[in-house]
Amino acid sequence: MLKDKTRRLGRRDFLRYSAAGAGALMAPGLVRPAKAETAALTMHTWSAAVDTVQSHLSAFTKETGIPVNYGNSPWAQYREGMVAKFVGGAPLDAMWVSDSWLPEWAEAGWIAPVDEFDSLMKYNAEAEDFCTDSMTYGGRQYGLTYYTDYMAFLYDEAKLKEAGFDAPPSSWDELVEQSLVMKEKGIADYPMMLAMAQESWLIEFISTLVYSHGGRLVDDNGMAVMQDPKEGAVEALSWVVDAVNKHKIVSPACVETGELAGLKAFAAGNHAFAMVAKYRLRMLNDPEQSQIAGHVKQAMMPQGANGSHATVGWMRFHGMSAQAAQDKARAENAAKLIEWFGGKADGAYTFQKLLFLDIGAGFGVKPLFEDPEIRAAYDSYGDVDMIQAQQALARKKDTVTPWFGEWNDTNGSAWQSAILGNVDAAGAVQKSADLWNELKDSY
Amino acid sequence: MLFLAPVMAVLGAVAVFPIAYSLYISFFSMKLTRPNRTPFVGLKNYTDLLGDEAFWGAVWRTVSFSLVSVTAIALIALLVSLLLNQEFRGRRILSTILLVPWAIPYVANALMWKWIYDSSYGALNGLLYQLDFIDKYMVWLGDQDKTLFLIANAFVWKEVPLATILLLVSLKSIPSDLYAAARVDGATVWQRFVHVTLPAMKPGFMLVMIYETMMAIRHFDLFFILTEGGPGSASHVLSWHIYVETFRNLSFGSGAAMSYLLAIATFALSYLFIRTLGRKI
Repeated sequence: MLKDKTRRLGRRDFLRYSAAGAGALMAPGLVRPAKAETAALTMHTWSAAVDTVQSHLSAFTKETGIPVNYGNSPWAQYREGMVAKFVGGAPLDAMWVSDSWLPEWAEAGWIAPVDEFDSLMKYNAEAEDFCTDSMTYGGRQYGLTYYTDYMAFLYDEAKLKEAGFDAPPSSWDELVEQSLVMKEKGIADYPMMLAMAQESWLIEFISTLVYSHGGRLVDDNGMAVMQDPKEGAVEALSWVVDAVNKHKIVSPACVETGELAGLKAFAAGNHAFAMVAKYRLRMLNDPEQSQIAGHVKQAMMPQGANGSHATVGWMRFHGMSAQAAQDKARAENAAKLIEWFGGKADGAYTFQKLLFLDIGAGFGVKPLFEDPEIRAAYDSYGDVDMIQAQQALARKKDTVTPWFGEWNDTNGSAWQSAILGNVDAAGAVQKSADLWNELKDSY
Repeated sequence: MLFLAPVMAVLGAVAVFPIAYSLYISFFSMKLTRPNRTPFVGLKNYTDLLGDEAFWGAVWRTVSFSLVSVTAIALIALLVSLLLNQEFRGRRILSTILLVPWAIPYVANALMWKWIYDSSYGALNGLLYQLDFIDKYMVWLGDQDKTLFLIANAFVWKEVPLATILLLVSLKSIPSDLYAAARVDGATVWQRFVHVTLPAMKPGFMLVMIYETMMAIRHFDLFFILTEGGPGSASHVLSWHIYVETFRNLSFGSGAAMSYLLAIATFALSYLFIRTLGRKI
């Protein structure tokens, strides 16, 4: 009985307190209204170089008096998280943007062009052209670059010499020849490392192969040209298919090998050649992280029969949200913040330099190549002139459109299907092209 | 009712509303990247799926995966539960070991199998190579003919313990006088198994079939971590298809429609199992 009574009292108490609490919340004047305005900016990035970003933000606040609320989230969930923020109207002024998302975000009206700010546009004169191109959509520029890199062709010099070659291959055919000799001599089972797993890196590998074969995937009008045999894509995919199935110089495991796994395999000495992001060069020549440290060299990207040493470049930039752009004062402050990170801070490209020295991240502003500290850092693990020469041939991804995300998975699957022998190269590329044009029409 | 009001409000907010809203948006062309264009399309999201080759491919792979997995789980769990129903030394230790896969979180399980199947440093290659079963390391998850089977294997390993426990409960609940009566009637071991054990295990089997079929059809973790739908489209199952459509393509309308079709299929299968296995003995 006592237990029963206690329970009844408990329920009454609960209801009483619930009602009191609800009443308090609903009573006008008892809830403090949110501040209508705040001088603080909100910046969001993915979780990279967080300490560097925070220290640079502190310096910004100290310099300008503008406080910044900083948040970050993992790269893997960043795009989806940001879309949720945009749709939900979360406070946001500046953020990191990948070139891959620019058309999508610009079309949706989530980010604002920054080309009305002369303080930002003046930096274009010193930026790599492909970086400025990558930040431009519909004739408007949407930010300032702070990081860029490109796909590089690296080789293990020791293995090359062991096979009896003085110079790395300059063409894809020459790479096959050298690889076959290496296989014959037992230097490597699969001399060339290609990572063709379904992941965000795949489009960079595919674009590099196509560009270096003298082709492109999409023309200037946004129409698919990849299916045209003269446009490099079919030729590039055929080369990969033959490399895996006919010459056996690329492992059939390439379809399950991601960029990181491939990098580790190369670092372990399993391959003689590799296509990886240029910034990996530092790690590959670090004795603590690589078994082939000191032997890894960069060469120009091999070229196809009708191709060039072109490669794909990618970049990330600081953009301004559309909601910040709607308020003149906020927009000006956001522009200052963008300049602090993407342009000069205290008269120098401080943030780019910090990122490079901290994690080896590449930069898209040419004057930094002349910086003695940067040259010295590069010289410790690479050839700075080679790095700069290849970067000059980097081109932006021609597939970056509002429908890129929807097409990308199918395209990756099509290339993989050809490598697995389910479909011929021309058929795989045709399927990809058909979807591209279908999506283009739907947009 | 007044006492239930807070609970009902919470349930409504966290369960009823999201479900109702997801059904609502399945009738719209709702794509987050086109925030200002979300027209009402009626059943178009559903009818489009019926003519979508990729969707039917995903359905077929899901059915194959579920069929192989659930059959294997049921058979292995039956054998293990029969074994654990006997008295022998070490039974308790074996029962404890059996629970380990069940205790491992799905994501950890997937990562563990990724290590096992890896073509460069995987434990499976290492083991087979040292035992001279293979003369070079094999590409497991890069082989489209093997991929679905290998993922099913990882799924079975994780799910067998729970199915075993459910079947063991059924076994333990069989009255011993049923066996005694069968012996008096001269039934052989096999006849006792077929006519006494199996019918008595029907409720347990029904639970196992319903639960494991639901898990197999909706399973995502292994596909996400091991293959991301690849190689090619070899493991592009329905759960992966829904994930890509909803969270990569950000097409919430068609993603919701697909999710409802999956829910209806799961419900229909559960009903089928209840109708066939739920009959009185």
